[in-house]
Amino acid sequence: MKSISLFVERESFVHGIDPITKLYYILFAIIIPIILPSFTISAICLGTSIILLIFAKVMRKTLPVYSFVFFVLITVVIIQGLFKPGNETVLLQLGPVAMYKEGLQFALTIVFRVTNIVSAFMILVLTTKPSDLVEALVRKGMSPRIGYVIVSVFQIIPEMMTTMSTIMDAQRSRGMETEGKLLVRIKAFIPLLGPVVLGSLINTKERAMALEVRGFNSRNPKTYLNEEKTYPNSRFIQAVMLVLTVCAVAWRMFL
Amino acid sequence: MIKVSNLSFSYTGGGVPVLSDINLEFDQRTTAIIGQNGAGKTTFVKLLKGLLKATYGEILIGEYDVKMRTAAELARKIGLVFQNPNDQIFKRTVLDETMFGLLNIKMGRYTAEKLAVEALELVGLDDKLSMNPHDLSLSEKKLLCIASVVAMDTDIVIFDEPTIAQDHAGKEIIRRIIQKLKEKNKLVLTIIHDMDFVAENFDRTIVFNEGKVLLDGSTREVFSQKDVLEEANVEPPGITQLANRLGLKNTILTVDEFLHECAK
Amino acid sequence: MKKIVVDHLKYKYPLGEELALQDISFQIEEGEFIGIIGKNSSGKSTLCQALVGLVPHFYKGAYGGKVIVDGLEVKTHTIAEISLKVGMVFQNPFTQVTGSKMTVYEEIAFGLENIGLPREEMRRRIHEVLKLMKIEHVKDRSPFDLSGGQMQRMAIASIIAMKPDVLVLDEPTSQLDPAGSEEVFQAIQDLSGQGITVIMAEHKMEKVAQYCNRVLLLHEGKLVDFAAPEKIFSRNDLETYGVAAPVYTRVCKALGMKKQGCDSYPVTLKDAELALRGSLG
Repeated sequence: MKSISLFVERESFVHGIDPITKLYYILFAIIIPIILPSFTISAICLGTSIILLIFAKVMRKTLPVYSFVFFVLITVVIIQGLFKPGNETVLLQLGPVAMYKEGLQFALTIVFRVTNIVSAFMILVLTTKPSDLVEALVRKGMSPRIGYVIVSVFQIIPEMMTTMSTIMDAQRSRGMETEGKLLVRIKAFIPLLGPVVLGSLINTKERAMALEVRGFNSRNPKTYLNEEKTYPNSRFIQAVMLVLTVCAVAWRMFL
Repeated sequence: MIKVSNLSFSYTGGGVPVLSDINLEFDQRTTAIIGQNGAGKTTFVKLLKGLLKATYGEILIGEYDVKMRTAAELARKIGLVFQNPNDQIFKRTVLDETMFGLLNIKMGRYTAEKLAVEALELVGLDDKLSMNPHDLSLSEKKLLCIASVVAMDTDIVIFDEPTIAQDHAGKEIIRRIIQKLKEKNKLVLTIIHDMDFVAENFDRTIVFNEGKVLLDGSTREVFSQKDVLEEANVEPPGITQLANRLGLKNTILTVDEFLHECAK
Repeated sequence: MKKIVVDHLKYKYPLGEELALQDISFQIEEGEFIGIIGKNSSGKSTLCQALVGLVPHFYKGAYGGKVIVDGLEVKTHTIAEISLKVGMVFQNPFTQVTGSKMTVYEEIAFGLENIGLPREEMRRRIHEVLKLMKIEHVKDRSPFDLSGGQMQRMAIASIIAMKPDVLVLDEPTSQLDPAGSEEVFQAIQDLSGQGITVIMAEHKMEKVAQYCNRVLLLHEGKLVDFAAPEKIFSRNDLETYGVAAPVYTRVCKALGMKKQGCDSYPVTLKDAELALRGSLG
C-alpha cells in the first residue's frame, strides 16, 4: 500500500537534522525576508534552501512542486507586469501590450518569497518521516491524540482511495457510465460519495475500538519504542539562526 | 455463453502476469471458481466484466467482444455482485437501490419497478421496499446487492464471495437464489472459499492457482483429485474427506450421498 | 481458578429497542478454550465486547449485572486497565491497523507505548510475539503490505504483546481465505497451549468443534446452553437457533452412531472416522 507522504529515504546530513530545527528553519526563512525586504536577502535565503535540497539529494522530487508553483506564479508576473497601479517604466512593448518595470519587480519579489517558503517547507516534508515529526512534537508536549490523527491520515487516505476504486467498479457494474463527457463524470461521482463516507465512518468506529483495547486512553505516562534521536548539531544550528535573526533586526533598526 | 481464449493480464505493462494464458468456455452449468487469495480469481471476473482490459487474448460474451465495450454497456449482459455490500449501497430506499441499475440501462420506470420488486421477492426483501438500506443487517444488505444485480436480468450472474459473513440461514437463502437462477437458465459463476457450499451447489468447479487454471471439471471430478488440490492449497469438503478416510470408493459431495452410499 | 465470571449481565445499546444481552450468567476457568456460536445478531459480538469493557464504556447504553475478569470488575475500570487482563481481536484485519506506524515492528509497539513500558521490555516482548505468531520475516514491512492472514496474526501479536491472560476473538477468520484462516487458527491454538484463556466467536462449526473444550450457544441475546461441543452439537433443536452442526455430526446422527463411550455424537473428522469405522467397511 502506498503512503501519500512525500518523504524520501536518503542518507544525507539534512536528513539527520531533527524535525524541530527544520520547523524553526521554515520560520526563519519566512521571517528574514520580512525583516529585510531586499532582493539580495530573498535570493540568499532561497539559494540556501536550494543548496540544502541538493545536499539532501531530493531535488528531483521538488521539480513537480516547483513547476506547479511556477505555473501559478507566472500569472502573477503577467498580471502585475501589465496592470500594477504605479507602473511607469515600460520595459517591453508588444503592440498595444506593455510590460512595466515596477510591476515586474514587485512580482519578482513575490515569486522569490513564495518559492523561498515552498523550498523551506520541502526541506521539512521531503527529508522527515511524518511519524518522526509528530513523535518529536508529542515529546515536546503535543497531545498524542492529535499526533495520532495527523500521522494516520497519511496512511489511511491511500486506503480510502483503494476503496473508492472498488466502489466505482461496483457502480460501473450496474451500468453507470463513468467514461466520457465532464457531465457524465460529475454525475458518476454522486453514487460514490455515500459509500465512501459511510465506509469510512464504519472503519473509524472499528478502528477506534481497536485503539481502545490497545490502551490508547491509558493514563500511564507514554513511553517510546524509538529512542529520541539526538542531533548533535541542532542546538548549534538553532543558535546560528537565532543570532542571524537578531542581527537582521539590528540591521533593520540601526542601519 | 462465454469464450475466453489465450487470456493474459498483468497490472503493470511488462510486470509479473496475474493471469497467464487462460482458455475457458462457459456453458449454463453453475460454476465455482476456487483457489487461494492472489490466484487471480477476482482479476479474472473483473476482466469478464470489462472492469479491466486484457493485456493479451480475447473474451467473447455471446457475440460481444468484451474489449470493444465499456463496463457500463456490458451491464446488460453480465452482472457482478461485489463482496462488500457497503461498497455499493447509496440510495435512500431498498426499492430505489434495486432500480438504480435498471434505470442506468435505460429501462422505463414502470418496468424497472416491476423487475426490481420481483428480484426483491426472490431474496425475501419485498416487505422492506421503503426501508433505508442502512437499517438492514449486514446479511440483508448483501441480499439487497444480489437483488439489485439479479433485477437486471442478465444472462450471466457473477458472485464474489457470497457466503462470507453469512450464517446458516443466510447461506440457505443464497443457495435458493442460485437454484432459481439456474432454473431460469442463467449462467451462475461464483468465486468462493466455502468448499462445503461448493460441493452442495455447483455443477462445475475451476481451480485457479498462481494465475493459471489448475483443474477444471465437474465438481465431483475436481474434488476427487486430492493430490492436485493440495498443490493449490485447497482442502476438499469435510464430508468428502470423511468418506475418503473410510475408504468409500466414490467421491462423496453431500451428506445425503454419504447416507445413500452407507445404505447400500 | 475462575478466570471470568459473568453474572446476570443485561445490556441495551443506546439506540436499541430490545436488550442485546438478556440476563447472561456463566463462568470460565483459567486456560479454557471457549467457542461462542449463534446466528447473526444473536449477541456474539456484544458479549465479546462486554468482556473487554467496550460494552458499556465505548458504547454507553443501559447496563446491568456484573462481568468480573481476573478479579477486576469491568464496569468500574477503564478499557485501558482491562486491556492488561483481556485482549481483543476483531473481524476485519484492516481496521485494526493503527495507521500511524510505518513497520510491523512499530505497529506491535503501539499498545506497549501507550501503557508506558520501558524500551528494553518492549523490544523483548515484540521479539517474542513476532516469533510466536511466525511473522518475524515481515517485521520491517509496512503493516498494510501484508496478506490477510499475516495482518490478522499481526493484530493478535499486538494484543498478545500486552500480555493479557485472556484473549477474546470475534470471528477472527471470517474475512480470510482458507490458508489464511488455517494460519490464524494454528496461532490461536498455540496460544491456548501456552495456557492463555481463549474465547472465540465463530461461524465455522467444524473449527469450533475441533478447538474448543466448551461451547456457548447464544440466541436472541440469551444463553441457551454452555457445554462440551459434543453435547451442544448433538442437540436436536440446534436448527431452531440458526446453527448447523458440523457435517461429521450430521452424518453420524443420521446413522445413529454415537461417539465411543459417551452419549453424544462425534463432532470432529477424527472422532467421526473412529465411530463409523466399526460399522462400515
